[in-house]
Amino acid sequence: MKQWIAMIMTLALIPFYLSVSGCLDGQDTDPYSDPSFHDWRLTLNGTDTRVLTLAELRSLPRAEGHGYCVSTTGFRFGPYECAGVDLRELVSLAGGMHPNDTIWISAPDGYLWVFDTEQLEGNGFITFDENLSEIPSPPLRIILMYEQDGKPLAYDDGGPARIAIISREPGIITEGSAWVKWVDTIEIRSNKG
Amino acid sequence: MTGRSIPVLIVLMICILIAGCIQGQGSGKTPLKIVAAGSLLSPFSQIEDRYEIANPDIDLQVEGHGSIQAIRQVTDLSRPFDVVAVADESLIPDLMYRPSGEGGKNFTDSYVPFARNEMVIAYTGMSRYHDEINATNWPEILSRQDVRVGFSNPMLDAAGYRALMVTMLAEDYYDDQGLFQSVIGNHFNPPLRREKDGVNLTVRLPEVLRPSSQHVAVRDGSIFLMSLLAAGGIDYAFEYRSVAEAQDFNYLTLPPEINLAHTGYTDRYEKARVILGFQRFSSIGQERVGRPIVYAMTIPSNAPHPEEGQKFIQFIVEQSRIGEKGWPTPL
Repeated sequence: MKQWIAMIMTLALIPFYLSVSGCLDGQDTDPYSDPSFHDWRLTLNGTDTRVLTLAELRSLPRAEGHGYCVSTTGFRFGPYECAGVDLRELVSLAGGMHPNDTIWISAPDGYLWVFDTEQLEGNGFITFDENLSEIPSPPLRIILMYEQDGKPLAYDDGGPARIAIISREPGIITEGSAWVKWVDTIEIRSNKG
Repeated sequence: MTGRSIPVLIVLMICILIAGCIQGQGSGKTPLKIVAAGSLLSPFSQIEDRYEIANPDIDLQVEGHGSIQAIRQVTDLSRPFDVVAVADESLIPDLMYRPSGEGGKNFTDSYVPFARNEMVIAYTGMSRYHDEINATNWPEILSRQDVRVGFSNPMLDAAGYRALMVTMLAEDYYDDQGLFQSVIGNHFNPPLRREKDGVNLTVRLPEVLRPSSQHVAVRDGSIFLMSLLAAGGIDYAFEYRSVAEAQDFNYLTLPPEINLAHTGYTDRYEKARVILGFQRFSSIGQERVGRPIVYAMTIPSNAPHPEEGQKFIQFIVEQSRIGEKGWPTPL
């Protein structure tokens, strides 16, 4: 009888062993349990300055759509169901922008990308179909994505928040260089001219 | 089962789990991870099967990026790679000869230059005036209003800023002031201006590079530029010779004084400078200076399999010397 109890205990401990050996890492764990997600802040710098927590970001009006991007060497990422906050909403919180201003999006890994006002309205992007053939661009939106395929955006995918360019139609691929991962700062810069 | 065998079973199970997470990770081959510049992807894919047949214990895994992004995978994103291969040898000392934070070691302390490339003008049988263009009249043909010219985004691809350098150097070579403006500069909003400061030629790019007419097209990388050329969306594209050749495009070779291929013209090439619109990576500044195009490889100090990486580098050096269609020219 003791032997059977020991055997049952051994089997019951398997999940613990798996966890110890790293086999369950990242599987169905809450991405927000990562302490760095709790410490994450988004700084909005314009004529006004705001600092948002992840919860505050998620409380802003939600924008949803299909996102799909391609790297400079032709590697596709997606398609994804994306949810986040429209970049125009965040620009507005920073005090808005003028026609010649630019939006500087940066991350702690040292990556930076810049959008202009035309792009903020979803214009001026190159779009492709699934075969990477260029197609006319449907209406697009730039969002700061915090949710991908119904789940909080994981760190490896650029979480807690990254830029995504979304459309209502599925299968629209955009160039991936603008999809900044791990965004923590959005700055509006004034350009004379 | 006896009572004594239970602890043995537990220990055995833990050992198995820690050793390999029992679900098994692949074929048991050693994954050799290479991060390479986009223009090396075609050559590396050509040799992948050959390399794996010659080295049956190796699973060659090649990932492509722009050269700076390739290095950043190691330096800024701490990803383990066995070999880094780039299209600009100067990037390795500039970005990797610095402490990695692991025991004070640099990311690397040496590299192996192995090939060179040159800028050409690629075109097809559909390109307007393709039966007229030659090494002398290309500036005039590429300036014609009904011709569409493409290059990759200088913010993202070295071939992009090298296209601007070639066009700037061509002004002096052909003694045609205004060539840069008519082929490229005047077709952007705001227009790109070539500035001359003594002997140096500089173009400053805006934050967002936006063509103002159909005359010029800019795409993120070579793959999209070549696709646009094949589809007839542009007539001519500034591109590396090896890339044009790998995809069977016609191409026009340019004089050595401007094609960024020859070390003997380094002083001349260095006169051409491009100031990028913003500092995309905090690890490298905005200025790019004209230099001969030399490819190089290195083994990062955190490479999981440095000895295998060394073998791969040796293999590529040898293959490069043999030379095949689509390969950069051996040194």
